[in-house]
Amino acid sequence: MSEATASVPRIASWSGFSQVKLGNREALARAVMLLLGVLLVATMLAGLAIGPISVPVLELVPHLARHIASPVEGAPDGVLLRDWIVVKDIRLPRVVLGALVGAALAVSGAVMQGLFRNPLADPGIVGVSAGAGLGAALFIVLGNTALASVMSLLGIYAVPLAAFVGGLITTLLLYRIGTRGGITSVATLLLAGIALGALTGAMTGLLVYVADDQELRDLQFWGLGSLAGANWEKVASAAPIILVMLFCVPFLSRGLNGLTLGEAAASHIGIRVQRLKNIAILLVAAATGASVAVSGGIGFVGIVVPHLLRLTIGPDHRYLLPASALLGACLLIAADTLSRTIVAPAEMPIGIITAFAGAPFFLWILLRKRGLTGL
Amino acid sequence: MRHLFASRALGVLTATALTVAAFVVPSQPLLAEDTDPERSSRIVAVGGSVTEVVFALGEEDRLVARDSTSTYPQEAIDLPDVGYIRALSPEGVMSVDPDLILMLEGSGPQEAVDVLKSSGIAIADVPEGFTAESIVAKVRAIGAALGVPDKAEKLSVQLERDLEAAQVDAASRASDLRVLFILSNRGGRILASGADTAADGIIELAGGTNAISDFSGYKQLSDEAILSAAPDVVLMMDRGGNHGAGADELFAHPALGQTPAGKSGNLIRMGGQYLLGFGPRTADAIRDLSAELSSIQGADRS
Amino acid sequence: MLHQKIDPSTNVDRNLCAENVSISIGKTPIVRDVSFEAASGELLAIIGPSGSGKTTLLRALTGELSYEGHAFLSGRELGGMSAEDQAVLRGVLPQISQISFPLTVSEVVALGLLDRRAGRLQRETRISEALAKVGLAGFEGRTYQDLSGGEQQRTQLARVLCQVWDPVPADGQPRWLFLDEPVSSLDIKHQYQIMHLAADYAARGGGVVAVMHDLNLTAEFANKVLVMKCGKQLAYGSNESVMCSGTLTTAYDFQLDLVEVRSGRKLFLHPAPVKI
Repeated sequence: MSEATASVPRIASWSGFSQVKLGNREALARAVMLLLGVLLVATMLAGLAIGPISVPVLELVPHLARHIASPVEGAPDGVLLRDWIVVKDIRLPRVVLGALVGAALAVSGAVMQGLFRNPLADPGIVGVSAGAGLGAALFIVLGNTALASVMSLLGIYAVPLAAFVGGLITTLLLYRIGTRGGITSVATLLLAGIALGALTGAMTGLLVYVADDQELRDLQFWGLGSLAGANWEKVASAAPIILVMLFCVPFLSRGLNGLTLGEAAASHIGIRVQRLKNIAILLVAAATGASVAVSGGIGFVGIVVPHLLRLTIGPDHRYLLPASALLGACLLIAADTLSRTIVAPAEMPIGIITAFAGAPFFLWILLRKRGLTGL
Repeated sequence: MRHLFASRALGVLTATALTVAAFVVPSQPLLAEDTDPERSSRIVAVGGSVTEVVFALGEEDRLVARDSTSTYPQEAIDLPDVGYIRALSPEGVMSVDPDLILMLEGSGPQEAVDVLKSSGIAIADVPEGFTAESIVAKVRAIGAALGVPDKAEKLSVQLERDLEAAQVDAASRASDLRVLFILSNRGGRILASGADTAADGIIELAGGTNAISDFSGYKQLSDEAILSAAPDVVLMMDRGGNHGAGADELFAHPALGQTPAGKSGNLIRMGGQYLLGFGPRTADAIRDLSAELSSIQGADRS
Repeated sequence: MLHQKIDPSTNVDRNLCAENVSISIGKTPIVRDVSFEAASGELLAIIGPSGSGKTTLLRALTGELSYEGHAFLSGRELGGMSAEDQAVLRGVLPQISQISFPLTVSEVVALGLLDRRAGRLQRETRISEALAKVGLAGFEGRTYQDLSGGEQQRTQLARVLCQVWDPVPADGQPRWLFLDEPVSSLDIKHQYQIMHLAADYAARGGGVVAVMHDLNLTAEFANKVLVMKCGKQLAYGSNESVMCSGTLTTAYDFQLDLVEVRSGRKLFLHPAPVKI
């Protein structure tokens, strides 16, 4: 009898979490992922199609495909140069970069939340992005002088790598400070995040004194984040790091699932917890660093996306991680499309849009889950 | 959960609708060629002084858009705004369908400029500078780009003469006042201008001395730096027409209050673009500033 | 019986042995010089007052804490075994089980399924069987956080059962259940149900080590008993030899009388105050 009632999807009275049988939830997760895949294609097309200039995108898509296969100088026959430039050099790199950064941020958020066993952990909130920003800022300001030799050695990867190192150091510090005996205290975590954010902010502020005018402008860019500067060079510098991360992260699913039991119990079911933590921290720092290096600090994607998905398909990381990548990509492309059009012909930084949507959401989770997060 | 599905479905619908809409709306045809093929007829002016020069040349009918720093004259404000000079959106600029962009030195970001260049739109770089000569250079560069060198020459000669007269005028009133230009005073943090800035340039042209010379650009000043700068006058931008207001508030600053400027309450406020634009109105700005300085000097002496 | 000398060479590959095990947390010694041997097919209970080092000892045996001395599981030094190897041989039921995200009961239990080759149907069947064993049939779709403490504990036990389902699988190596206070938050019916389940696991050839607080359940179900006091081993031996009034009164510093009820079952009681 109870078997029969349990198999009917129900809404829990206090949490609103869907309660369905294992099989149903997996089936739902697969369906949602399929839907998100379709949505991503639609969002990418919409991102290509929408903007201050109207462009016949469907006509251009075959040309683009041909161009990727064998690049040719100038616009193809029968296509306006302006339309060609708008789609190929402005919107397409933005859409691709938006997808990469959105996926990286959302997956980083999901992995960090799994690692810290807390739904509020997010690279932006706990200061990892700030640390990555500091790394990038160091390179921007000192890249032409003190670090010139390193800069020339690493080329376009110098700033993403510096951001990665900055993010890695911050994450490690955070883990040291925020967890004790394998247990993460949310209060400590958030406070440590504030402290680290202040520290990195201060150090970035210090750089302002040695920066020249041009460097100052570049520094300002880290504040709110934007995909405005997207070009193929930036895509090329961030894509390898982010793609490696997205490829590796599914292998962490079982470990992160086990970690929901706590570190001790995770090791009892055969998970090498320390190795898992090391790899997860490395991947999060790399992806956050690469994202921050090309788009500045875009906040809240990492917290909103995994949370929405947990509400729908449950916390199983085997589905949560890929679904986060898809939804994160969709959301960031959509937000960027909005940022390009909302005050056209001028442009609004995307960080403003994500913060406007994300900050109230963050507060909402905080209020709803006060008991669960121990605050 | 139903909610989420609903909103997701809505999202898909919106995206699809938008996609379809983009194909239905026909792309605007490029404007028919002008009678004179050399003559650009759809111009975007980026930089406040650039826009002012275009108006001074009487070529404002050819403007289709401006940046957000172009706030003079009043007619300029009615033009579409393509955003801040340093944060241009390439697609936004392209959407007003320009055939020429007049770009003041320092416009950016570089990525946006690169894309605009690759799109085949003509871009004329206008040099920035903070001397009388640089104003003339701007006018000549813009005149050449607009295809009106004769008009530009005439304006240049006129401006040259005017600027010279203003400088002679300022020199005759020769004040040896030390002037501190404060860009902003937020929560007691004073952001001041050093060498190689527009403020430094205009102070010198008006016969004053920049109180700060040991750094270039705009930097935050420590209390001790303010004291050792020992300004006789503080110069600030005038925002929102509250002329002269806020002197008490400003000089309540512990360090600033101890300087000669603070003790005598000497504060000059002038319109930002007028004071720092280095365009056609600069000669007037020099006269105004110099007059203000000499009246302060007179008051201090007596 | 105290500090019984154990020869690890005999029958080691089927046993859990500890030889002079000492455990320190930081620089503070918590457990000193404990030696015992539990054979598969037996239920070993570890009892003693709070703070006597029972849980610390169990945590060392599950690889959470490092120890001095020797401890062998199926003939291999525990300290040198990887988490994966240990996980194959033994499941661990922790005392407190907070879960960080709202997993369903079946998702929690599924975490114990180590065999990744198993098909979905096979997995679901095993999960349902395990839940039925702990009296939670039909709870698959419930959210773990919504359950009562006792239900959560039994869910965790189902997870542990899934991990070492067969007490003696085809490889011939007995499997072990390490249980930290398995019945502490259960009502009396479920206490018996879980103890029967553990005893049955041992009867079918597996090994069970359980940290226990309830002396009467210990007396009823344990084959061997290890009594801890102040980090030391106070007594170790068969149920009959250890579970007596004298040893327990010493262990707990509290008068405990043995009452024999019905056909030899033991009941330990604190003597009632004398009525005036």
